[in-house]
Amino acid sequence: MISTTAKTTSALRARPFLGAASIVALFVALWMALVWSPPDAAMGNVVRILYVHVANAWLAYLAFVIVFLASVAYLWTKRPVFDAVAVASAEIGVLFTGLTLVLGSIWARPTWGVWWSWEPRVVTTAVMFAMYVGYLLLRNLSDDLERRATRAAILGIVLVVDVPIVHLSVTWMNALHQLPSVLRPDLQPTLDPSMLASLIAMTIAFTFLYAYLMTARVDIERRRQARVIEARA
Amino acid sequence: MSLRRIGLVARREVRAERGQPDGLVSAVTFVAVLILVESLAVGPLAASRPAVAGALFWIAMAFAAILATSRSFERELEDDALDAVLALPGGRDAIYAGKALALTALIGLVAIVGGALSLLLLSLDVALPGHLVLVTIAGVLGLPPVIVLFVVLALRLRSRGALVPILALPVLVPQLVAATNGTAAAASGDAAGAIAWAGLLVAFALVYSVLGLTIVPAALE
Repeated sequence: MISTTAKTTSALRARPFLGAASIVALFVALWMALVWSPPDAAMGNVVRILYVHVANAWLAYLAFVIVFLASVAYLWTKRPVFDAVAVASAEIGVLFTGLTLVLGSIWARPTWGVWWSWEPRVVTTAVMFAMYVGYLLLRNLSDDLERRATRAAILGIVLVVDVPIVHLSVTWMNALHQLPSVLRPDLQPTLDPSMLASLIAMTIAFTFLYAYLMTARVDIERRRQARVIEARA
Repeated sequence: MSLRRIGLVARREVRAERGQPDGLVSAVTFVAVLILVESLAVGPLAASRPAVAGALFWIAMAFAAILATSRSFERELEDDALDAVLALPGGRDAIYAGKALALTALIGLVAIVGGALSLLLLSLDVALPGHLVLVTIAGVLGLPPVIVLFVVLALRLRSRGALVPILALPVLVPQLVAATNGTAAAASGDAAGAIAWAGLLVAFALVYSVLGLTIVPAALE
């Protein structure tokens, strides 16, 4: 049986600092992306959407890999905290995958001339979004804590297969989407240094934001688990 | 996990289907209706193009496989038989492989009927019939390992009828694309393409079989 109490952990104590770090990092990254970095020679100022778009996509990858790791840890240990981490990360991942698709669409209209293109990166990202919406649906349709956690953990392990498919789809198939510019197999980024710095700053800011949201959402889930246990006792 | 137990579960599934073939009948009827309706909706001329005909066939097959697999587990729940199988030594491990094996045979039968119907209704000329059979076998092998996994995950949940396709279809996208392209390649005379797509389908079947065998026992309560 799951037994849990909402404890004040070091992660919870770090939450205000993570929130402050997120705000500061986001301001710095936005200044770099909107003011400091130059417009692109071909795309002009439209390129600035990409700083947020790529950071969103990074967060989606990170969130779903964390779902996978937390799912493995849950099946291994049966500790409910890992189930809380998995659901928190899945919800954040779905949110940021949705934003990735929306921002990509806004960028595609002036660049490709269409809001939506049936090209591999876009389609595989949309499929990944649908998969993790299904993950959240599976959780919501199950009332029993242990069964829900076990089923969700199995699904969290199965679905991670799509993350490398999304990232490598542009190298496997002929694509309109540009090839990876930063996470390349040769580890040699192809971006202008100021653009690369702005992109890294935005990615760090979004990672702080992810950590902040995670601490908040895990706390809510732990309290929910504790309430269910209390009601059952 | 023993092969004997897997064989027992598979034989039990086949016997149950022979005694009460509602899974097979509903899947065959469903695939026939869907192929007919899809072909009418896109227009017979468009539907007779190899890529379109392949896509219509494999989408119908995916839904029919979900239907047949769900029916198989529903029958277990109706008869309270699942708990008895799980209680057997090794039953928890054998049920995934046994069910997947039996359902592969059942879906193979559905594919024969659905494929014959597609060829007949759409007057398809197949340049490489042997390669088409190979792609069809590989495509059929790719469906049960994924679908049994998701039916088990959704077992005893409310709204499971809607949940299984929502979960399974996005995961089946690579298999559906590979099966459609392989079918189109066989129909249009591209032998190397058909073999490559069939190989990819077998690889997917192996990956999901290993994944299912490893983690499904944990999902069965």
